[in-house]
Amino acid sequence: MSTRSAGRLGWNLVGIAVFVVMVFPVYWMISTAFKADDQINSANPAWVPTHPTLQHFRDAIARPYFWRSVENSLIIVSVVVVLAIALSFLAAVALSKYRFTGRGLFIVAIIGIQMLPAAGLIIPLYVVLAKYRQVNTLTGVIITYLVFVVPFCVWTLRGFLIGIPKDLEEAAMVDGSTRLGAFAKILMPLMAPGLVATSVFAFITAWNEYIFARTLLNDQSKQTITVWLSAFLGTSRQTDYGALMAASSLIAIPVILFFLFVQKRIAFGLTSGAVRG
Amino acid sequence: MPSALGTAAATAPGLSRRRLTRRRVGNAVVPYLLLLPVVLVIGATLGYPIYNLIRLSGQKYDLFALLQHHGTSVGLKNYSSVLHDAVFWHTLLRTVVFTVVNVGLTLTLGMLMALLFVKVSTWVRVLLSAGLVLVWATPPVVAVQIWLWMTNSQNGILNSFLTDVLHVGDYFQHDWFVTPFSQLAMVTTLVVWGAIPFVTITLYAALTQVPRELVEAAEIDGATAWRVFRDITVPVIMPALLILTSLSIIWDFGVFTQAYLLIGAGHIIPQNYLMGIYLFQEGYVRTDFGRGATISILMLLIVAAMSVVYVRRMVRLGDAT
Amino acid sequence: MRTRVIAVLGIAVLLGVVAATAQAGGQRVAANKLTVWLQVDAQSGWPDVVAAANQQFQQANPGWTVDVQYQNWSDHLQKFDATIAGNSTPDVIEMGNTEMTKYMAAGAFADLTAAKGTFQNSANWLSGLAKSGQYGGKTYGIPYYAGSRVITYRSDLFQKAGIKQPPTSLAQFEAAMVKIGKQNKVKGFSPLYVGGQDWYTALSFVFDYGGSIAQQVSGKWKGTLASPKSIAGLTAFKTFFQLTQSKSTATLDGTNPFPYTVFSQGRTSANYGPAWYSCCTGAKYKTVTQQFVMPSHTKGLPMPGFLGGSDLAVPVQSNNKAQATQWLADFTNTVNEKALQAKGNIPNATNLLGSSVNERAAARSWFVPQAKHWVDVENGNILKTMLSQILTGKLTVKQAATVASDNITQTLNGA
Repeated sequence: MSTRSAGRLGWNLVGIAVFVVMVFPVYWMISTAFKADDQINSANPAWVPTHPTLQHFRDAIARPYFWRSVENSLIIVSVVVVLAIALSFLAAVALSKYRFTGRGLFIVAIIGIQMLPAAGLIIPLYVVLAKYRQVNTLTGVIITYLVFVVPFCVWTLRGFLIGIPKDLEEAAMVDGSTRLGAFAKILMPLMAPGLVATSVFAFITAWNEYIFARTLLNDQSKQTITVWLSAFLGTSRQTDYGALMAASSLIAIPVILFFLFVQKRIAFGLTSGAVRG
Repeated sequence: MPSALGTAAATAPGLSRRRLTRRRVGNAVVPYLLLLPVVLVIGATLGYPIYNLIRLSGQKYDLFALLQHHGTSVGLKNYSSVLHDAVFWHTLLRTVVFTVVNVGLTLTLGMLMALLFVKVSTWVRVLLSAGLVLVWATPPVVAVQIWLWMTNSQNGILNSFLTDVLHVGDYFQHDWFVTPFSQLAMVTTLVVWGAIPFVTITLYAALTQVPRELVEAAEIDGATAWRVFRDITVPVIMPALLILTSLSIIWDFGVFTQAYLLIGAGHIIPQNYLMGIYLFQEGYVRTDFGRGATISILMLLIVAAMSVVYVRRMVRLGDAT
Repeated sequence: MRTRVIAVLGIAVLLGVVAATAQAGGQRVAANKLTVWLQVDAQSGWPDVVAAANQQFQQANPGWTVDVQYQNWSDHLQKFDATIAGNSTPDVIEMGNTEMTKYMAAGAFADLTAAKGTFQNSANWLSGLAKSGQYGGKTYGIPYYAGSRVITYRSDLFQKAGIKQPPTSLAQFEAAMVKIGKQNKVKGFSPLYVGGQDWYTALSFVFDYGGSIAQQVSGKWKGTLASPKSIAGLTAFKTFFQLTQSKSTATLDGTNPFPYTVFSQGRTSANYGPAWYSCCTGAKYKTVTQQFVMPSHTKGLPMPGFLGGSDLAVPVQSNNKAQATQWLADFTNTVNEKALQAKGNIPNATNLLGSSVNERAAARSWFVPQAKHWVDVENGNILKTMLSQILTGKLTVKQAATVASDNITQTLNGA
């Protein structure tokens, strides 16, 4: 037992070291948000802000359209996540549980779509959305993101569905519950990690996307947060790095909250170990 | 009264034949209904762009044509022009090497980190996951900016860390973006850093499906960690590994934003082109959209060729059940 | 479970509908709307000028609103191309003066020649800037504002070195820099700080010695950087660079870090760049930041400075060309141009010129070849590569210039 806990301690130390290395750039971003201007630009980089200030946060929030951009991003991301999971789950069920003509074609299409270079699609996609009058709208962006996110979600959820042994399903159905009921009670918890991974993927992909949001959204009142951030860097004149980093730190918060919300569900999936064996 | 009898009878195995018939008819339509939403959304959005891309690749379409909404057909001339361009082949080779290095690093480090997740206490795991999500959530535009600072030749922390803390040499005012090799090395660190969280989280989710009893039984039998990994863990997480490998290949081959912004528009020259940058420069910046479409299609075919092995395995794995 | 799934789907659809109708509602209101694309420089630098122009326009055109959308220099052309493809161009667009020719040659802009008289001071437009908006004898772009290049320097360090007056010749300037370098042997200090790849600086030397970038010979372009005069200029630049700057800057292009940032860190005594650099030299050196005109190698003359600037044009696909032209007239009227001047820019007409350092430097200026493929030369970084090769010693001046010149010939002729 003591070797076990010593081993665990060792791994924990490694884990913390890995954490420090991976998160350092993010630490750099957050610490810069608190640094006074003279420290940010100084010739000798300061590891820790010695006289921290909240001015950059105030400047960032005061810039026009900050809250509007956050709101736009949140709307887009929530709709994308919900729709992506819903649509992908349905398609994944079809792919994993049924045999039907056109299945192979659909699989090839799903994989093939992800291989299209995004840069090559910018103008054609813009033209299509302009035709449907979805340029400069949030729905246009939502549709675009769904196209990029759904293939991966379908494929991953299919993988998780396949990984669930068939006898579990059948055992559930012998009980008399319908197929969907079987899914709900027994299989959903097993799917939880997969659903978490895909929903976090959908969330972050939509949250961080830049190129298409930039091209499709022209009104500053419709912009997403990544486009709003790029305005800091777009000028040829002096850039307010402190405010840029402060804004970036702020917008990481919804992502963290979302993750904390869903990561509990992983635990839920794990503890329902009653299904094992 | 008949209904009650009927209900009782329905649960008897004898009547399962009738249920099967109904289910079979229902089954035929169900998968198509399930797929319909996805097909609608993607078909309506991507149908025209893909058609347009193919058509553009056979046209000369410059700024003038853009204004007229009409290009001139040139058959396969775009293809022969690109395939005869030495820059295309050099860029392709460079991108393949770049992809192999990035995918290799991402998967190896991601796998190691996912295994680490299993070994640590819960609080460390939550800390690490939160850290990884923070990394993943950093927008590329911001990450590039942070990287530019850290590697800044005049006051970057990397130089002072190497010189004053690690004492591995004099890196005072060292410019990390002089040669294409060092430029692409910097891009690699940024891309791998940003890609690890996703790989780790997905692999960890897959690792949770490895039956613990099997692992414990094998360990009691005296199997080494490597044997346990190879014979028990890998088969279980194979679907996830295959997805991640194919996706990493696809993404790293076509990487654009991080490379273009980190190297900087002012330093982009044919010697440090990656395929994504090559497409953007030749197609968009030079407003030669026909050529850009041609390069897009070639990229699609090349990526498909690069990942076909993994994809085929993935599909076969799924069909085996 | 099923009910929960349906409920979630329903909420998602509802959210989507809400988002869509919110946007659709917005679009319906904007019936008489003028869409203007300006760069973010206007948003941070002179928002009051924009507001004044909008107000004046709206007063004269009741029922019209002006929607100003601010763009970044790095991708505004790609965005513009997308709007051309989708038939949703803005009604007014700000273009860099080096970006104009390509789009004029393709027919992207409306012909404003007939309306020229409605723009105040159009008879006295700065010739360099006005030319960048003309093609085939017609006017497609009107001058917005310009900027030249000056030396921003630390007056305290210059005083310490005994330099009381701005140098009047290049030789004098070089001597001053060497002296300051000797007095400030701090690690990492560079008397002058300009990115080695800053071709605006290097080519000033080329033009100062009578050279040029490219000439048109019977309809075809020919690169002239390898001509004897151009090579003399490049060689003078190389000598100047090696005397006045630290080697570490040879491959930097001046964006990472910015020269004024290095200035604010106390690591240099002078920058050669746009006049607005003086805004950003740091609180510590605010009182000792001054400017003078960079001298030529010929005593008494200013070094020819690159005349950067912006033009304003009306995309040919716009449905509101008349209103767009009116807005342009309001935006570039005398009052607004003088306001731009007060913010440190050069106004668009000679009768408005003052005697700031920026404006005096513009007395002798150079511009890029007005070829429709010039932007490809810039985007291909041909000049930057040449300068890196020269300053790192990888190639001789003649070799590097010949390679660059051939590349330019090929690119400008549309290869």
